[in-house]
Amino acid sequence: MPRLRATAIIPLLLLAASAGCSAPGANDDDAKSGSGPIKIALVDAQSGQLSSLGAWELKGARLAVDEWNAAGGVNGRQIQLDVFDDQGDPTTGTTLARKIDSEGHIAMIGTAESAVTIAMAPILKQAEIPNITSGQSPGLVAAGSEFLFLNGPTSTTYDETLAKYIVDKQGLKSIAMITNNGSYGKGEHDAFLKALSSRNVVPVADQVVTTDQKDFSAVLTGIRQKNPQVIFVGAEEVESGLIVKQARDLGITVPFAGAAPQGTPVFLDTAGAKNAEKTIVSSPYLSNDVSDASKKFAAAYKAKYNEDAELHGAKAYDGTQILLTALKSSNVATGKALADAIRGTKYQGLLGDFAYDQTGVGIFATSIGTIQNGKLVAVTG
Amino acid sequence: MRTRLLLAAGAVAAWLLPYGLDSYAIHVVDVILIFAILAIGLGLAMGIAGQVNLAQVAVFGVGAYVTAILTTRAGLGFWVAAVLAVLATVVIGLVIGVPALRVQSHYLGIVTLGLALAFTSWVTNAQASGGAEGISGIPVPELPGVDLSSEYLYYYLELIVFAILLAFGLFVVRTSLGRRMRAMRDDALAAGSLGAEVPVLRMAAFLLASVYGGLGGVLYAGLIRYVAPESFNIANMFLLLGMVIIGGRQSLVGCVVGAVGLALVREALVDHPQIAQIAYGSVVVLVVVFAPTGLAGLPVRVRSAVARRRGRQGAAARLKPFQPYDPEPSRRDGETILQVDRVTKQFRGLKALDDVSLTVAAGEIRGVVGPNGSGKTTLFNVISGLYKPTRGRVRFRDADRTGDAPYRLARAGLSRTFQNLRLFGDLTVEENILVARDRSRTWESWRYLLRPISVLRRDRELHRHARDVLDRYGLAEFAALAPKSLPYGIQRRVEIARAVAAGPALLLLDEPAAGLNGEEVRQLAEIVRSIRDSGITVIIIEHNMGLVMTLCERVTVLAGGRIIADGTPAEVARTPAVIEAYLGDSMTAGDLPPISEVTR
Repeated sequence: MPRLRATAIIPLLLLAASAGCSAPGANDDDAKSGSGPIKIALVDAQSGQLSSLGAWELKGARLAVDEWNAAGGVNGRQIQLDVFDDQGDPTTGTTLARKIDSEGHIAMIGTAESAVTIAMAPILKQAEIPNITSGQSPGLVAAGSEFLFLNGPTSTTYDETLAKYIVDKQGLKSIAMITNNGSYGKGEHDAFLKALSSRNVVPVADQVVTTDQKDFSAVLTGIRQKNPQVIFVGAEEVESGLIVKQARDLGITVPFAGAAPQGTPVFLDTAGAKNAEKTIVSSPYLSNDVSDASKKFAAAYKAKYNEDAELHGAKAYDGTQILLTALKSSNVATGKALADAIRGTKYQGLLGDFAYDQTGVGIFATSIGTIQNGKLVAVTG
Repeated sequence: MRTRLLLAAGAVAAWLLPYGLDSYAIHVVDVILIFAILAIGLGLAMGIAGQVNLAQVAVFGVGAYVTAILTTRAGLGFWVAAVLAVLATVVIGLVIGVPALRVQSHYLGIVTLGLALAFTSWVTNAQASGGAEGISGIPVPELPGVDLSSEYLYYYLELIVFAILLAFGLFVVRTSLGRRMRAMRDDALAAGSLGAEVPVLRMAAFLLASVYGGLGGVLYAGLIRYVAPESFNIANMFLLLGMVIIGGRQSLVGCVVGAVGLALVREALVDHPQIAQIAYGSVVVLVVVFAPTGLAGLPVRVRSAVARRRGRQGAAARLKPFQPYDPEPSRRDGETILQVDRVTKQFRGLKALDDVSLTVAAGEIRGVVGPNGSGKTTLFNVISGLYKPTRGRVRFRDADRTGDAPYRLARAGLSRTFQNLRLFGDLTVEENILVARDRSRTWESWRYLLRPISVLRRDRELHRHARDVLDRYGLAEFAALAPKSLPYGIQRRVEIARAVAAGPALLLLDEPAAGLNGEEVRQLAEIVRSIRDSGITVIIIEHNMGLVMTLCERVTVLAGGRIIADGTPAEVARTPAVIEAYLGDSMTAGDLPPISEVTR
């Protein structure tokens, strides 16, 4: 009888409750042994919409780990990099945080998605697993975990540097904004607007488009009427490229400005090199040719994966290098000691000189570059 | 007894489960339980009520977000916030359900999917929801003496909520409300004609789904203590959909099995991201292809396959003779029960009914005949409320009922059968009768929460009545069978029994003899006469002239949407217009082959 079945559950539960009184899961012993390979987890989206980001991260981190392993590992112990797929989903992220804890990973690289990292932060903090993330949202700092480190500047830094260059240095005050309503675009919108308002600049236009929009003629026509001196774009690579291309078709000649996506080859290809000319880019890693270190990294990357290195791989490479350096300097410490070692690590990386503060941010500047003759060139001075 | 033992074993196992799990596994289980609750809610809306609801993940999000906002921004306690969050999801659920009043099936899917996307977009951009960074720092729910920050103890909280929600869901499905929803899912038109308030039922389905979604969201907020737009994105909606489809959407237990199964598959593949997507997609495809009823449908399929291989066991169900009703002595024959007044029904260029007037007296058996396409079924559809007449009025039992919804007419005492059988295919014969017999109002469903015992008592009474009906129509042995599996003649009889079970004053029979053999037609005449003797007025559309001439006291003849004759069978048969239009040849042919007309 179905009705009996339904009502029978509750008394049975009560019975079982009285039978087992002690709370389960009281013993939480950490199995972080002092021999065998050093287990490091890489958590990133390997499937779903953000998987390309995850793939770049993995390549950068893998390159660093392989270099260390080839040189004999850390204190003679090999480094084992285990890959976990968070699918860009915070819930899955929390599960993976428990998983890497229970499997005895002593540190974590990733994720590229700030929301996933924020979701994982409390669990990793409780488990005392240091985490070097590629996320750059200010919310990561707000999470307030002493085990959370960023492998690049926060997104506010990108836009602060950009606003400084455009407004303070170039003296451009008539600025139009076009951003999308996705998480990246929204973050860019807020950060750049904040940077502008701190300089008492009000954008002449503030247009928001959707993430999957393909035709921007309406918003661009509106912007053209305002006659701005520069147009800020806060969107991913392809969409930014489309916006620039369509703007040129409408006869808009003023330069565009934006953060890292506008410095990528994907952006250049979509927009067309001629259309993208003079685009102002704020990025901690302008190109593979900016320094000797980046040239060496790019060559190794190309040799290993047969493709050109880019920002995300470079960030993950830097983050992994910092972690491994800290492991070496701390004699393979774990938990709080390892976190302190990371905080104490001074590292000259591809993105610049890392020196972590209490908030977990190690780098506080980006570089400004402009696209000239189809190439991103650093602006000096 | 066996189910109870199984259940007890399951409960004990669930209670002892955490003792064997590490902190990672218990977290997985905690997340699975939340998804199971969501899947039950989606199963109620999609599987039971047939409402394609792709906004369940948004409702889930609303529950979690409202809890997060109220605890972190407004400083409310967790439980107060939880109650308010569930109330908010109820409101959202009703809003999401509104389109269901106008569109159904995949159109509804698209609309609800759009709403789900709108939700993600809104929380990404709104200030209150913390934008893309979401809201962190949701406080641990407090329970005196229990530290819910431990995921082991949180498991018990979830387990209890889950058990109550599953039990409540099963309770709904197996009693009046759920039966009506399933009837509506199988055939909304027929359900309406039997008095099921289709709009109210659809809203109730969305309401139930959103309560489950909201509770899932509250538990999520308490467990993860962080909300972000990505947690409630479309990928998770399809994961949820996959759980419900794999488990078997028509069974709540199946939905739970699907949720647990798919979540475990996903968990097992976390270490193998390269093959995860393929493997996960393959599982969904394999289930859809090889087990369309989901995992929950497998035992039934296996059992029937085994039975087929062994050959039929035991005696097949037999049709028993019909037991006539006791004649109702206090019948008030002669009063007008139905008056159709100059009704015209126009379909674009086609005038299906042209100025038709008709008066039926209580206690009559009225025949409506005419060539195919003469407007007979259209007339029935106008009378029973499926069509609104272009012009003219319909009065039923001294009240103007023109354009009333079918369920209102049904509740006023009108019942009908359909030309091309509209039995509820996935309900048993007995449940078909129960749906008709059930005259309670859907808005009275608050009893499910506050007076469950009275719901049970009423349901038991309904079952007794249904048994009586089945016995009378000789259908008792078919009670537990699916109507689809029955011979055509028996299905016809079930439909008549169902229409009469609704307790009508006026019964419309649309070609009840179509497809019946001679003996079955004779039994049909006997049944219809007895139904009339019990005090029910009958109007019958029929092509079988022999039946019409012997059974009906008066006959109305339609041709080309107009009434060309009206009178006793003998009078009608002599009318020249009738002979010309219709009867000329077929009087001698006796039995015209039934040609199915389009009912709508």
